[in-house]
Amino acid sequence: MNVLELREIGRAEKGARPDEVVLALSPGFATFFTKTIVDVPHSEVVRQILAGIEEQGVQARVIQVKARADLAAMAHTAARLSGSGIGIGVLARGTSMIHQKDLPRLSSLELFPQSPLMTPEVFRAIGRNAAQYAKGESPQPVPTLNDQMARPRWQAKAALLHLKECELLVKGAPPVEVEPVLTA
Amino acid sequence: MSLVVGVDIGNSTTEACAALITAEGVEFLGSGLVPTTGIKGTTANVDGVEAAVRAALRTSRLALPALQRVFVNEATPVISGLAMETITETLITESTMIGHDPRTPGGAGLGVGVTVAFGELDECSPGEKVIVVVPVGIDFAVVSKALNAALERGVDLRGAVLGNDDAVLVANRISCSIPIVDEVRLVSSVPLGMTAAVEVAAPGRTIRTLSNAYGLATVFELNADQTRAVSPVARALTGIRSAVVVRTPSGEVSDRHIPAGTLELGGETSTVRIDVGEGAEAIMAALARVTPMKDASGEAGTNVGGMLASVKENMADVSGVDLAEVRIGDLLAVDTFVPQEVRGGLAGEVALENAVALAAMVRTSHGPMQQVALAISQRLRREGAAEVEVVIGGVEAEMATRGALTTPGTDRPLVVLDLGGGSTDAALADRSGAISTVHVAGAGDLVTRLIASELGVERDVAEEIKQSPLAKAESFFHLRLEDGTVQFFEEPLPPEVFARVVVLSTDALVPIPVRHSVDRIRQVRRTAKQRVFVVNALRALKQIAPYRDLRQIGFVVLLGGSALDFEIPELIADALAPYGIVCGTGNVRGSEGPRNAVASGLVLSRS
Repeated sequence: MNVLELREIGRAEKGARPDEVVLALSPGFATFFTKTIVDVPHSEVVRQILAGIEEQGVQARVIQVKARADLAAMAHTAARLSGSGIGIGVLARGTSMIHQKDLPRLSSLELFPQSPLMTPEVFRAIGRNAAQYAKGESPQPVPTLNDQMARPRWQAKAALLHLKECELLVKGAPPVEVEPVLTA
Repeated sequence: MSLVVGVDIGNSTTEACAALITAEGVEFLGSGLVPTTGIKGTTANVDGVEAAVRAALRTSRLALPALQRVFVNEATPVISGLAMETITETLITESTMIGHDPRTPGGAGLGVGVTVAFGELDECSPGEKVIVVVPVGIDFAVVSKALNAALERGVDLRGAVLGNDDAVLVANRISCSIPIVDEVRLVSSVPLGMTAAVEVAAPGRTIRTLSNAYGLATVFELNADQTRAVSPVARALTGIRSAVVVRTPSGEVSDRHIPAGTLELGGETSTVRIDVGEGAEAIMAALARVTPMKDASGEAGTNVGGMLASVKENMADVSGVDLAEVRIGDLLAVDTFVPQEVRGGLAGEVALENAVALAAMVRTSHGPMQQVALAISQRLRREGAAEVEVVIGGVEAEMATRGALTTPGTDRPLVVLDLGGGSTDAALADRSGAISTVHVAGAGDLVTRLIASELGVERDVAEEIKQSPLAKAESFFHLRLEDGTVQFFEEPLPPEVFARVVVLSTDALVPIPVRHSVDRIRQVRRTAKQRVFVVNALRALKQIAPYRDLRQIGFVVLLGGSALDFEIPELIADALAPYGIVCGTGNVRGSEGPRNAVASGLVLSRS
């Protein structure tokens, strides 16, 4: 099993490359937590998203947000720091979003609201689509699954995970650029 | 002085105009346009007629009780049908070729070697020329590691075929540069132990060796006969960025002609048989020899036989005429192509197969207009127009030319071209006022069908594409329009149109769910309109012009729904310009555009 370590490089700056996608991770991602709500390791989440971006020939930067655990705010922060204007946000429990800098914060290009349905394949597809948006292509939106039972089954756990993640917030701390290091 | 309303019941719309007829002449007041209810010429039309009459009176600020007379048209006795059949198919046997176009192949160049399964890579000896075949489901990290290990041992890895979408990832992780083709869904069916070639072109380029018959001959050391046999493979691989060709003992790619059957066109004096496989041009030439056509039929038990039979059945249903009595009066054949998945393909390859689309038109006997008129008068009386009298007006063509002549700047000899949904109708009014008419098959519906099949989209999407120009939403604040200009927006565009090709319909931006570029969709749209409307305009005018000489026509006025199209009128005008014809979209009564000609003509003929 791979272990993901996020090595902090410094304060996240706005990128200038038009061919990059910025991936924003939540405060508890690969720090306090190590896997999503359905036990997909965080190392695999990051590896798949980055692979999806790389397969399209696009560059990726990873940041960790410290002051927010709100997915829309995180993804929008990533989008505004991204040279292409395309960003991805992922919460520790797996909920994800593709965002664009010119969109209103609470809107999104693609939203994946049900964390229990997020598999490695979906994370790969998110990376792929985000990279295609960055290239100005028109990807087919990733098919979002919808499980009627996900809410009653997982809502309590999701709420607990969210509370836990909120405890890790550092008020006013700027997002930090990190280097994801995968070790076996 | 009396208040009258002229009503034109068309295939898709019912139009009305209200007017006051006085001793001095006609004073037009208002007009209305509603969708036709039911099939035209049936009593189901009454609802639409009532709505149209009400709309016309509303714009005239008058009420139903004041209405004295309603004129309805004798409907054009023409209905139409469509059919399409592919006449070629591409067949791959023994999985000889992978010619799909993954968006992100890896590496670049040409590699030739023997196909080896991923699991057996360890058994390859150093120096062996290998094309590795990796099944779906193996992670890119595992693949890269194994390939690097094999390279280290001295195996001469020349190329790779992957099931997953991993080509760039693997190419970035291995120690040499080899061509890699990915997303091959049925990768497990790739024949192993055979000589194969993998080619990937640099971005923006297309493959050069495998798409060239002599390139294949060089790679696989083929003689002249074998080269002749593989030339369909080369043809099937033109224009793409990556491909794999495997040399198997008897595998081939064949470009099969589906026997589509013969079409029998019966004229007044002779009958002509034509093989549908010869294409639209030959069919239309044969049709020109027998015009005016009495009937057409297809060879029983063949595709074309089925096509015409279904068209006739459909029309018998619509018109309530006995099937044996249905006679096809005109045909329009159009060459088209249909993207279809290749049989025997391993990666969902798509080939553009040739197809022929046929629009057919049937002359019907005049519908039960008396019954419709009676039903209309009963309805309108019940609704308050106590004294209304419904009169069946004259011939539709005469009414249309009369209405068209109210367009400013027109004069006889004048031809009205009514560009409808199912048929294109022409009426000529010569200097003396005599009228002649001709109906030819094929109009707006055929254009929609061609767009739908050539782009592989649904009918409603094709309808949107047909009606409005295209653009691409390049950011949330600007659109790149199809003419290359840019339109900016103050408010951000909706997220669902971002990065997509959209249709600029009048009230919204409609995203088009296809991979095609703006240019490609535009080209398909324009050629579809060319092949139907321009061809039909010329065909109809040649049949109707005095001495079949287009120069004898002074004015052509375009009417009907398709005359409102944003580019059809200019396409037709361009085609007619060499004949010195004044051609343009009608403007009935100087205010109605190409609408309301028949309704206005009905009123004018009664003044």
